[in-house]
Amino acid sequence: MKLREYEAKNVLKEAGIPVPAGFLIRSAEELAPHLGVLGDAFVLKAQVDVGGRGKAGGILMAGKADGTKLAKDLFGRQIKGLPVKEILAEQRLDILHEYYLSLTIDRSSKQPLILFTEAGGVDIEITAKEHPEAIRKAIANPLMRDIPPFMLRELIGTAPKEIGSIINKLYRIFLEKDALLAEINPLVTTPQGVYAADAKLIVDDNALGRQGFTVNRDLTEREREAEKHGFSYVELNGAIGVIGNGAGLTMSTLDLIEFYGGKAANFLDVGGGAESERVMHAVRLVGSVPSVKVIVVNLLGGITKCDEVAKGIIAAEIPQKVIVRLAGTNEAEGRAMLAEKGYEMLDTMDLVVKKAVEVAA
Amino acid sequence: MIYGDKKTGILVQGATGKQGEFHIGLMNAYAKQVGGRGVVAGVTPGKGGKEVHGVPVYNTVKEAMQDHDISASVIFVPASAAADSIMEEANAGIQTIVAITEHIPVHDTMKAVAYAKMEGCCVIGPNCPGLLSPGEIKMGIMPAGLFSHGNVGVISRSGTLTYEVVDELTRSGIGQSTVVGIGGDPVIGQTFVDVLERFAQDPQTKAVVLIGEVGGNLEEEGAKSTDLPIVSYIAGISAPPDKRMGHAGAIVEGGEGDARSKIARLKKMGVPVASRPSEIPQMVRDLFKDHC
Repeated sequence: MKLREYEAKNVLKEAGIPVPAGFLIRSAEELAPHLGVLGDAFVLKAQVDVGGRGKAGGILMAGKADGTKLAKDLFGRQIKGLPVKEILAEQRLDILHEYYLSLTIDRSSKQPLILFTEAGGVDIEITAKEHPEAIRKAIANPLMRDIPPFMLRELIGTAPKEIGSIINKLYRIFLEKDALLAEINPLVTTPQGVYAADAKLIVDDNALGRQGFTVNRDLTEREREAEKHGFSYVELNGAIGVIGNGAGLTMSTLDLIEFYGGKAANFLDVGGGAESERVMHAVRLVGSVPSVKVIVVNLLGGITKCDEVAKGIIAAEIPQKVIVRLAGTNEAEGRAMLAEKGYEMLDTMDLVVKKAVEVAA
Repeated sequence: MIYGDKKTGILVQGATGKQGEFHIGLMNAYAKQVGGRGVVAGVTPGKGGKEVHGVPVYNTVKEAMQDHDISASVIFVPASAAADSIMEEANAGIQTIVAITEHIPVHDTMKAVAYAKMEGCCVIGPNCPGLLSPGEIKMGIMPAGLFSHGNVGVISRSGTLTYEVVDELTRSGIGQSTVVGIGGDPVIGQTFVDVLERFAQDPQTKAVVLIGEVGGNLEEEGAKSTDLPIVSYIAGISAPPDKRMGHAGAIVEGGEGDARSKIARLKKMGVPVASRPSEIPQMVRDLFKDHC
């Protein structure tokens, strides 16, 4: 789950990484009491979860005189389709230089990867492509709580020494907050010192509980409903609902729909060993999407009991056509139950998908 | 076989849980069928002295290892305790650890895998179905009925999709040497590179099917690392960017790990890539024609 900018900056601040003085406001009226601290040059930053926020008009330069009016204006805007509900009003920095710093997980080495470059800022991705040598990399040992000083020296080169200590602080945040990504871009030098001008933190969904989050805000309402039942669910925009067991098989079913010229409406992975009630909820959830004309059920596995699956499909009682491919324990019983109720069953995933694409067309 | 054979003694952690108990039964049914040792001991802290399907349960891994000759383990414990189980086993001297558990926080996995490496043991998974060498050994939850003995190795980041492919291969008369589910998380112990290294030293394995997913570039690294003939399939070509598809590992990473560019890179290396699972058996046959 991605933290909002102000949340990420609070985490940084608590860890001793300097951030600009700022205030979160939920209406334009809330700005007035902070104008004294903000001074005559500050920034209004819409707290919306989209990339390229600045270029989309979500960041405005403001002053004492026009601040409230601009805030009102920004609250009325939509940034890439998202309404602005919160604004971070932040002191403007007198920037001398912009750096880029991030921590992620490197799949190859299975360890934290630190990236640092003296060419930070909005065009970091262009830098990465055109001047990959400008980006310094280091792999940290996750069993160590700190990055060894030599590694910090190698990373920062001629950049101010202060940045070395900021890298180590960010590394500790990365470990302690179960982050998949901890990024500061830009990390800036000013006459007053080094500041994290923007920050991004993504927390591992599997660690939200121990990090104190009760809901995953990245999920839509239907996705949250799915999560309650232990399904992973993703909404797309076609006409064919997809239910499978296991992420790989379900994803492969989606790909096959595309292969045969159809479009999937969603992706629902019921997981292993699904019982009838869970299957019923899964079928109902997928059936509740208005655009779904037909549902493909593709279940395969040793621990999935086909009679349970059949019971669940029948109990769901949805209006859409359900086409089934079932293989596993008690296959004959499950098939007999579905056949009795007139469900269409086919032997392979190619066949069920082909059929569903025809029905949806 | 590459990670164990009939003579391998297996320990199960989380032996008294629902999953552990169920799969000890299935693993030992398979062991009986092939004449292997199978699961010889279980561990669940606080449940020492019990028995599960006739298998003795111990409080700690070290206690179990005092009484039995054990070199491999399968972990079914809940996500919050799984990293600790991996480290306990690595510390006790187990050589091959299969972690079935899903939803382990990735930082826990990262530390456990780093620790296991220090102790010189290898971890398969987490969030994986384990492995099966037909006629030799089953470690994990793969449905044995779909498998047949042969010369094709299979490495996969997925669970049920692996069964789909194995089923296709078996139906086409293509047997498998060893099938390894390496897991779908962003951090896994054994990657394609590691398993391919084992296959390269296994005289039984003549070709390998590599089943990948969107996210990262472990498939390409694997393909680059080996001289074995390979056929590949990558799931997730229809995955929208930045949508999570169940596995944390399937995050589409800024274009680099998306399925289309992954497929393009594999093809550029000369690896045949199937556009759907049902094409794999024919492509494997073509490989044998070209190489054998």
